[in-house]
This record gives sequence, structure tokens and C-alpha cells, in this order.
Amino acid sequence: MEAFRPIAHWLGGAAILLGCSLLGDLLSDRLSLPVPGPVVGMLLLLAGLMIYGSVPRGLALVSSQLLRLLALLFLPAATGVFFLRHLDATDWLAILAATTVGTLLSFTLCALLLKKLLRDGGGERGDG
Amino acid sequence: MAEQLEQLLHSPLLVLPLNAVAFLFGLMLYRRSGTTLLHPIVGASAMVAAVLWSLDIDYPDYQRASGLLYALLGPAVVALAVPLKQNLGIIRRAGWPLAVTLVVGAALAPVVAILIALLAGATEPALLALAGKSVTTPVALAVADKIHAAQSLTVGIVLFTGVVGAVLGPPLLHRLEIRDHRVIGFALGINAHAIGTARALEISALCGAFAALAMGLCGALTAIALPLLAGVFN
Repeated sequence: MEAFRPIAHWLGGAAILLGCSLLGDLLSDRLSLPVPGPVVGMLLLLAGLMIYGSVPRGLALVSSQLLRLLALLFLPAATGVFFLRHLDATDWLAILAATTVGTLLSFTLCALLLKKLLRDGGGERGDG
Repeated sequence: MAEQLEQLLHSPLLVLPLNAVAFLFGLMLYRRSGTTLLHPIVGASAMVAAVLWSLDIDYPDYQRASGLLYALLGPAVVALAVPLKQNLGIIRRAGWPLAVTLVVGAALAPVVAILIALLAGATEPALLALAGKSVTTPVALAVADKIHAAQSLTVGIVLFTGVVGAVLGPPLLHRLEIRDHRVIGFALGINAHAIGTARALEISALCGAFAALAMGLCGALTAIALPLLAGVFN
């Protein structure tokens, strides 16, 4: 029986993820929530884990495996970039400007804000 | 015979192994090159696109045959709750500066991008796809679905944003004399999601923890706020 325990843990973790995902979809759908179903599921699981107090071993295992495979999971959607036809050159240039300039701008403003808030708040320094 | 071959080309039997092989290829390319610019998805999606083109498989058919992977995206979003729970203690110690920065940063990233795109004359599909640019891909896909943005364009934008933030962000902050690893990590997590978090982990464990925390919280916040806002504007 000992040998089956890791498998049982793993299946339990997978069942929790699947259950939360389905429950989130169901709630989002039935209550016409604006929040995507999987995100409702994530919040449910987070709330559950905070009440439970720790992360069950099997759940931690399945989660880290799934998150390591993320790139594979969104590969079909990513491949679609090569098949986009309805955007013109202006759109592509605008997207390029928004993602490069915009990202660096919001990134810098974000860092400056947090730096100022941490200094004013007198938090311990985090240089490493 | 030709018809059976045609069916095989459009079935999960061929498409799922193709995805797996392309993923491994992308991963190998990324590890060999050692540059963030070649995120595994870059090599993998280019390989899949090349195969689809050469075998003359329609993208929608490929998408349908990849249904299993789409089905796993939901549980993957749910799985983000685990690292979030594991890092929750950190936010209690750093407290309100993190909360304020999170809310401001989560709003700033899409607002700045959409303003720039508007000024540059972008049309609605591009603007919608930019809305989820700074959140982690599975969440961005779920949001795109809710606000009716093109999923493929959203993924492309999210990945590009992550690479820009992860590659150019830390040297920029260094120039601005920002050396606090908590600040660098948090900014990376909010603006460059998982790719930024991977970069932050290379800087230090503290930097990585702050990035993971910011990525998770920013994703949850955006997923709740964005569809609400889109509803107000429509």
C-alpha cells in the first residue's frame, strides 16, 4: 500500500485543481460574473488554502508540474500569431510602440513608486 | 488512402505529439542560446507554424485538434494559487507600500500601453489585445475570452511585453540607482509576469519571491477589474 501513496497524493492534487476549475467555470457562468471562470477557481483555491493553513503535498506537486508545462499549454494560441490576417501595418507599429515604450515606462514608474513608498515607510532594506 | 491521411493530419493523434516535440525543441533552443529573447514559446510556435504550412493544415483545424491543451489552461490558472499562498507571508511584512504599488502598477501597465497605441492610430482589435499585456499568459487568455479580444494576438503581446521588461528593465533600473531587490522583483512581476519572474529568480531568491507575488496578485486583480471596466465602456 505504501507505494500507492504518492500516486494517491498526486491524483488528489489533480482532482482539487480540476474541481476548482470546474466550480469556477460553473459559478462564473451561472452568476454571469465578469471574472473568468478559472480565475474564480484560483481565488476559491487560495481562500481554501488560507483556511486550511498549508499546501497539501500532492497539490504542490501537480501545480508545479503544470506550471512548468505552461508554455506547452498556450502553444496552440501562440502559434496563431503566424496566422493573423486582419491587422494592418499601423496596428503592428502601434502595438510595437505600446509594448516596448509602454512597458518600460510603466515598469520604471512602478519601481520609482515602490522605492519611494518603502523609504517613506521605513521598511528594512532588501539589498542582496 | 489519401482521405485517411488527411484525417490523420487533422487529428489529435498527430497534432498533440507535434505540440510536444515543438515544445521540447523550443526549450532546447532556449537553453542552448541562453538568451531571454528566445523564450521556449518562440522556437516552439515557429516550428508548429512551419509544419502547418508545409503540410497545408488549416490553423482552426490544428486548434481544434489541440483541445486537450486548451482544456488544461483552466487548471493551470487555478494552480497559480499555490505559489501565491506560499508567498503570502512576504506581503504581510512589507505591507501597504506593496499593496499601493500593486494597484497603481496593475492599472498603469495597460493604460500606458493603450494610450500609446491610441496615439499611434491603432484600431479596436489591437487595443483590446493590449489590455491584458502585463498579466501571465493563462490569465490573459481567460480575460481575452471575456472581453472578446483575439487570443493569438493577446498571447503574442503578452510574451513580447515579458521579454522587453525582463531584458531591458533591470539594466534601466540600475541606471536609475534602484538596487533594492524587492523593488526590482516587484516591478518585474507586475510588468513582465512569468518571464520577468524567471529573470528575477536569476537576480536573487528575494527578487524572485517578490516577482512571483506581484505576478500572481496582478493577474488576479486584472482578471477581476478588466472585464468589469470593459463592461462599463461597452
